[in-house]
Amino acid sequence: MRTTMRLWVPAVVIVGLVAAGCGSDSKSSSANTAPTTTTVAKVTGSIKVSDAASLTEAFAKIGSDFTRANPNASVTFNPGSSGTLAMQIQQTNGVGIDTFASADEDNMKKLVSANVIDGQPVVFAKNKLVIVTKPGNPKHIKTLADLAKADIVSLCGLTVPCGQYAAQILQTAGVAIPETKVTRGVDVKGTLGAVTTGDADAAIVYVTDAKTAGAAVTAVMIPDAQNAIATYPIATLTSSANQATSRAFIDYVMSPAGQATLKSFGFLPPS
Amino acid sequence: MPWLVVLVALIGFAFIAIPLVGLVQQVPWGNLWTDLGTPEATAALRLSVICSLWATALSVAFGVPLAWVLARVSFPGRSIVRALVLLPLVVPPVVGGVGLFYAFGLKGIVGQYLYDWFGIQVTYSTAAVVMAETFVAMPFLVITVEAALRSMDRRYEDAAATLGARPLTVARRVTLPMILPGLIAGAALAWARALGEFGATITFAGNIQGRTQTTPLAVYLLLQSKPDIAIGLSVVLLAVCVAVLALLRERWLGVG
Repeated sequence: MRTTMRLWVPAVVIVGLVAAGCGSDSKSSSANTAPTTTTVAKVTGSIKVSDAASLTEAFAKIGSDFTRANPNASVTFNPGSSGTLAMQIQQTNGVGIDTFASADEDNMKKLVSANVIDGQPVVFAKNKLVIVTKPGNPKHIKTLADLAKADIVSLCGLTVPCGQYAAQILQTAGVAIPETKVTRGVDVKGTLGAVTTGDADAAIVYVTDAKTAGAAVTAVMIPDAQNAIATYPIATLTSSANQATSRAFIDYVMSPAGQATLKSFGFLPPS
Repeated sequence: MPWLVVLVALIGFAFIAIPLVGLVQQVPWGNLWTDLGTPEATAALRLSVICSLWATALSVAFGVPLAWVLARVSFPGRSIVRALVLLPLVVPPVVGGVGLFYAFGLKGIVGQYLYDWFGIQVTYSTAAVVMAETFVAMPFLVITVEAALRSMDRRYEDAAATLGARPLTVARRVTLPMILPGLIAGAALAWARALGEFGATITFAGNIQGRTQTTPLAVYLLLQSKPDIAIGLSVVLLAVCVAVLALLRERWLGVG
């Protein structure tokens, strides 16, 4: 009767989803609502962080360090395009998500004016953009202008922060790539994937993604005069059932240890 | 306890129906026509129609012989072949896209020769969209046609053969008409599946407006910037699927 037993699992999930109106997380252990003036105090409870795709690896490390320091707390991540994440939060009033970390300020501002952000967002990191090519740069792409000569260039969608930064960079450099040569990724990891696991000649991604990709790509620097600076704000949502844990997580991100981790993944300091 | 069964059935029904209601009630009916007339929307719809029809045609052209072999020819490893053919039904489409890339990409086991010998690059072309859609759609056709072939009464074929009909005549005049409802149902399912394809397409064919950006890809990308167009396109896909299912039930399956 093992099959019958297993069939119960999706059934319970479906009933649960319908009954709960999709997504009210367990309200357990929110007793710890004391303000985090004493940073030594350990927090408990679980939080869910919607984070920009470019933060995936750095936040995975920060998350495991944070839970090691707070053994009764747990952090899960929901990485994606900042635009998609902000839209999801706006449409559900943030239910089920405790913390939002964006790869741009616009999406965070959108949520601040929608009154779903608790307090003021803090900028915790910055990032720059870079051209990545196939290993060894077989198409000899040395400058932004060379991108117009490539067969296929992978850029983020125009609603994704990295796509907006890329558009800004190309405009500054006066380079126009015909849209018929541009494949648009749904987030920065998808955009990078078109070069690492795909036949795109080049992509514009964050310096940190190029670093994470390692030998799978060759990075071609974009001069500072032409480059854009991505700003990463983070904030707790008013809907969070575990605001204390969320604030403690943000404090950890801002702490010397958190900042050192971000630096090791190639992020720039917030100021 | 029939009431309990009915209750659980209602929950199951609500789970499927509520998202569809949610989508439909978001449709900006007043601007729908204008939204669907925008360049992004028309480019995506046009590409979707062309690619899905190609994928259906290829599924029929290769899927019918495949179904026939699976239904009528006994050979060692037939169950393994069938399992492989049906695998795209359950494999995540993104995984299918990655597989297609390692087969037909520039470094793929077939793709490298296509490029070295003929200078053909498949990835990021409209052909790649058709390939991705065929990959996910053909199993629907194979499974339906194979079932039709297995359930038909073979004595008609035998009778035709004993009356002197050549194999091709038997296939054309006896077998084909008898499996036609199954073939049409399979083709319609394959077409609907091809029309909705997302994962394999974006992985293998990319997301190039006017070339590989089909309707589902456009929906996903436009959802943040132009939600009205995205929802308008979604409702078009939904309407097509409803039409296909209604047609199948009433005309060809005789269940309506």
